[in-house]
Amino acid sequence: MFRYLAKRAATYVLMIFLTTTAGYFLAVSTLQPALLEQERIPKPTPEQVANSFRLKGLDPTLNPWERYVDWLTAIVTRWDWGRSPNGALINAEFGDRVWISTRLFLASIILTLIIGVALGVYTAARQYKFQDRVITSYSYLVYIVPAPIAYFLVQLGAININETVGERILFVTGISTPGLEGDGWVQFVDMLAHYAVPTFAITIVGWGTYQIAQRQYLLDNVNADFVRTARAKGLTRNQAITRHALRVSFIPVAQSIAFTIPAIFAGGFFAEKIFAWHGVGSWSIDAIALQDVNAATATLAYGSVIFAIGAILADFATTLVDPRVRVQ
Amino acid sequence: MTNLNAIDPAAVAEEAKIENGGVVIAKSAIILRRFLRNRTAVAGLVIFLALTVLSFVGGFLSTWDKETIDPLNIAMPPSADHPLGTSQAGIDLYALMVEGMRVSILIGLVVGLVSVLIAAVYGCTMAYFGGKVDKVMLFVLEALIMMPALLVVAVATSGGGNGLRENLPSWLLLVIVLLVFSWMGTARLIRSLSMSLMQRDFVKAAQYMGIPARRIVWRHLVPNIGSLLVLDITRGVTGAILAEVAFSFIGIGIKVPDVSLGVLINQATSQVQTFPWMFWVPLVAMFLLTGSLAMMNDGLRDAFDPSSSSVGSAKGTNTNKTAKKNK
Repeated sequence: MFRYLAKRAATYVLMIFLTTTAGYFLAVSTLQPALLEQERIPKPTPEQVANSFRLKGLDPTLNPWERYVDWLTAIVTRWDWGRSPNGALINAEFGDRVWISTRLFLASIILTLIIGVALGVYTAARQYKFQDRVITSYSYLVYIVPAPIAYFLVQLGAININETVGERILFVTGISTPGLEGDGWVQFVDMLAHYAVPTFAITIVGWGTYQIAQRQYLLDNVNADFVRTARAKGLTRNQAITRHALRVSFIPVAQSIAFTIPAIFAGGFFAEKIFAWHGVGSWSIDAIALQDVNAATATLAYGSVIFAIGAILADFATTLVDPRVRVQ
Repeated sequence: MTNLNAIDPAAVAEEAKIENGGVVIAKSAIILRRFLRNRTAVAGLVIFLALTVLSFVGGFLSTWDKETIDPLNIAMPPSADHPLGTSQAGIDLYALMVEGMRVSILIGLVVGLVSVLIAAVYGCTMAYFGGKVDKVMLFVLEALIMMPALLVVAVATSGGGNGLRENLPSWLLLVIVLLVFSWMGTARLIRSLSMSLMQRDFVKAAQYMGIPARRIVWRHLVPNIGSLLVLDITRGVTGAILAEVAFSFIGIGIKVPDVSLGVLINQATSQVQTFPWMFWVPLVAMFLLTGSLAMMNDGLRDAFDPSSSSVGSAKGTNTNKTAKKNK
């Protein structure tokens, strides 16, 4: 099994390299930070601009290939992802923001998965009953709402709650109260108050996909031959489903998790933008607006890595639960 | 998923005969009947068509257009003069809505149709040739899935001084980028379904009979994955409309002065408490669009599924219960 996973991992490393390279060329050929410099007052001469960029390793006079070689050499030899047009080091900026993003998403991804799969099983066991209709309709409803608008509506709801209560109990933007004094408990309550709204928003928007998928696959398996055989051997319906059908039906769901993780990551841009958490997502959008080649490429590489981790986890989960996958 | 129990055409013809007491009905007629029987689906189709027609001819029904500023009515709620109110610039919201809906629908339809086409060709090619071809093509496909589409959209639509960006309207640029990143999931599904079909006896028989590859794909693969393709067109259209709204909402994607539903919603968010109609009117329009597509989805799937058990209740032998059989 570990050899199989190692082989998959090697493929993904190659893919990350290729997507990042493609991303770099796209960014370097479309983004032109030098144009923004000309909006400064006093307007710098082209020589001054070129000079200041050369010092930061962003020489606009080099062709894309030469810049790519320089950029790649720096990463391979020194793990240096370059600088932004304003001189900031990508490595340092990235380190701070990745932590913010992880804090925002880890809890919601886990909650989304657990709630989605659990509700999928719950509704499949009660097909066409009242609970099934309500929950499944909800999942279809979420499907036709774009994520950022759903987040925005949750935010509006939280503001309304605050207004009704007459006190700010829920924070709709930011990661913590600036300059908050107090002991560990005060800090903890403040953190919870900031977490609650974004986590709630991401979770209620996210679980629908898993619920529908899990319900569908389980229903496909409930009447399969092997479940019928198990029942013929004396198991109750519930036993047969939990011991046999559930396991098989989770395989495609595990696979789909890998492919929804980039989607959650993309949803992350929206959540970070709307709730003003300055993580990787909102940083990348801002960086692109500032025509920052290196930052854009770094976030693109990060997105690919996140995807690869999800895909490897899905492969791992499949080898664990699927009796048909035989790997040496 | 669909089609685990794919049927060959002979059996379908046989089934059609039994269904209709020996009378063979054309396949298209069966599909149409099945679709019309589903009330939700028909309602969805009617709403979607109505919105599409409105977005094309609606401009002629109003005296205002999307450029004229009405200086006496700036940011006014709906009134007799302006049935949907005016924007903060004093432009008639109805005129903006017609324009924005047209752009959104256009993006949805083009991206939905073309991406499914790309996916079908790509997926069938992979499954038909298999081996090395399949491996290389799968690698390309997964590498594309890995790219965070949103970042690429952002780079492509905000690059400065680039020839591509200056020569293309922003909606066309968005269509191109969405197309590049929207077909991979469907292609993967089509590949796996076609692969299992390639193992079926009727395909093998056709291969041994020396029937050319193109005809096997057309006669055997396409009808059996047809329901999936149709389903993915409506899903693709929904997805593209949602993506447009989502991207424009956070300020990438469609850029002013071009108008779309996403742009209208985005512009209204900062003052949703003061000018609620500017936010809710385009939002409701978007819900009607994506909602009607979702309503059509299930009816279409059932109508196109060759193994559908929705044979109708005309003879009283099959009730709606079997029509609802879950897939």
